[in-house]
Amino acid sequence: MNTFASGALIKLEITRTLRNKKFMFFTVIYPTTLFLLISGSSGKSDVIPHSHLTMQLYYMVAMASFGALTAVLMGNSERIAKEREKGWVRQLRLTSLPGRGYVISKIASAATVTLPSIVIVELVAATAKGVRLDAWQWAALTFSIWAGSMVFAALGVAIGYIATGDAVRPITMITYFGLSILGGLWMPSTVFPQWLQNIAKWLPTYAYAGLGHAIEQGDAPHLRDVSLLVAYLLIFAGGAAWLYRKDTLKA
Amino acid sequence: MSATAAPTTQKRDTATPAVRFSQVNKTFGQVKAVNDVNLDLHAGETVALLGPNGAGKSTTLDLLLGLRNADSGTVEVFGTTPARAIAQGRVGAMLQSGGLMEEVKVRELVKLACDLHPKAYPVQRVLQNAGITEIADRMVNKLSGGQEQRVRFAIATAGANDLIILDEPTTGMDVTVRQSFWATMREQAAQGRTVLFATHYLEEADAIADRVIVLHRGRILADGSAAEIKAKAGARRIVFDIDGQVDEAALRGLPFLTSLSVSGRTVRIQSTDADATTHAIYGLGLYPRNLEVAGLGLEQAFIAITDAATAEEAAR
Repeated sequence: MNTFASGALIKLEITRTLRNKKFMFFTVIYPTTLFLLISGSSGKSDVIPHSHLTMQLYYMVAMASFGALTAVLMGNSERIAKEREKGWVRQLRLTSLPGRGYVISKIASAATVTLPSIVIVELVAATAKGVRLDAWQWAALTFSIWAGSMVFAALGVAIGYIATGDAVRPITMITYFGLSILGGLWMPSTVFPQWLQNIAKWLPTYAYAGLGHAIEQGDAPHLRDVSLLVAYLLIFAGGAAWLYRKDTLKA
Repeated sequence: MSATAAPTTQKRDTATPAVRFSQVNKTFGQVKAVNDVNLDLHAGETVALLGPNGAGKSTTLDLLLGLRNADSGTVEVFGTTPARAIAQGRVGAMLQSGGLMEEVKVRELVKLACDLHPKAYPVQRVLQNAGITEIADRMVNKLSGGQEQRVRFAIATAGANDLIILDEPTTGMDVTVRQSFWATMREQAAQGRTVLFATHYLEEADAIADRVIVLHRGRILADGSAAEIKAKAGARRIVFDIDGQVDEAALRGLPFLTSLSVSGRTVRIQSTDADATTHAIYGLGLYPRNLEVAGLGLEQAFIAITDAATAEEAAR
């Protein structure tokens, strides 16, 4: 019954998100457009400095990851903060939905709406920009970008439980742009000065984009990237769980 | 009925009560929000929790629903913890602080409430009972305050609950809506449900409840039928000065007197029939000076009951 109950909430969360035009614009159309704009000026043979990746390939992964990041981070943090404030979280505690059900359905529904933002960037890259990869690479790319976004879904939940009211948006924005830009989702981090590159290497977004880039080069994702992401997932999910419990006791 | 004796002298029957508070305390900083409350609610009762703002009504309901934990004492709902009773689908609640999910249609939200309820009613019926069939396709965030209240009510009654908790449910409702709301509530009670609602309107408690519990500063001051409470809260205050010796024993014999206090030459009386009492004062041959007769608002009536309670305690 409890699983079924969470399912009902997940379903409604997804319906609501897909109906939100602004949100769909920023998670689906915006990354795709950015991809077309950035990769539009470069030829097929332009290569990212210090790598074998073409501009198209690089930006396809970067923008698909960016779209996924937007979907999970922006959606969760603001909604959770707002719903805590408005008392919806409190009302849900008066139903037979188990306590974790709310957070689980937030992450699950974010994960579902992440898929279109990844797939559409890939589709556009393949059709409009002639990006060619092996079948296993497409599958692996889609999966790794999708699975990797869970790390940021957990971060979104944590921010939603830390911040309230007016503070949520700026905190989310700083986190979001900081992670996107420094992690190399907007431009290759190799263009940064060395000291900044040294910092960037330790960001979750850097490892996140690294998963896709490794696959594009025909490799398996690097162990370092995977372990870094797992470590961040544990930190964010642990933090979210702790904040959630604290919030529950305060009611 | 004594104001303070009620909680302790109340009969505790062998059947599991719907709600049982045993010596429950909850303190916020220096404020005792709930002060040693003992309380049994029985199946099928419609109970009003009456008290001014800050009396501890919302905290009491929070404890009852497991949204807060008591500092000491135990709260049981149908013989188990509030959380478990809620998980079993036995409790429906409508809180002032309870929000709604936004950016969804009313029907979708009510359907969610039904999906989450182990003993749910059909969505259509819940919408109808709450009188929101016409606004079922509207977005939740576009509703007026009164409409929102009705959606909250729909969520609280999405399934066959045995206990329904309502915290000042008619706030923001206009008169017609209020009436149809209480009509629905009476139906629920007639089906054998226990209904507990918090209010600061004496009239509401009088019209709906068959038992009224008066809460003030976290304590139960009175617990009885609506008529009994109304008589207390409906009292008027008579204040006057007397020249010369005050004969307290004679004053105590005045008709309809509910409380008497004498300080110096000033006499303060509370009476359920001020006209008759005043007439009797003259009948004693007294000449009251600076005579004032004033009605007590509910809040003042509570304070008066508290004063009486404190005096009674001190006298013991």
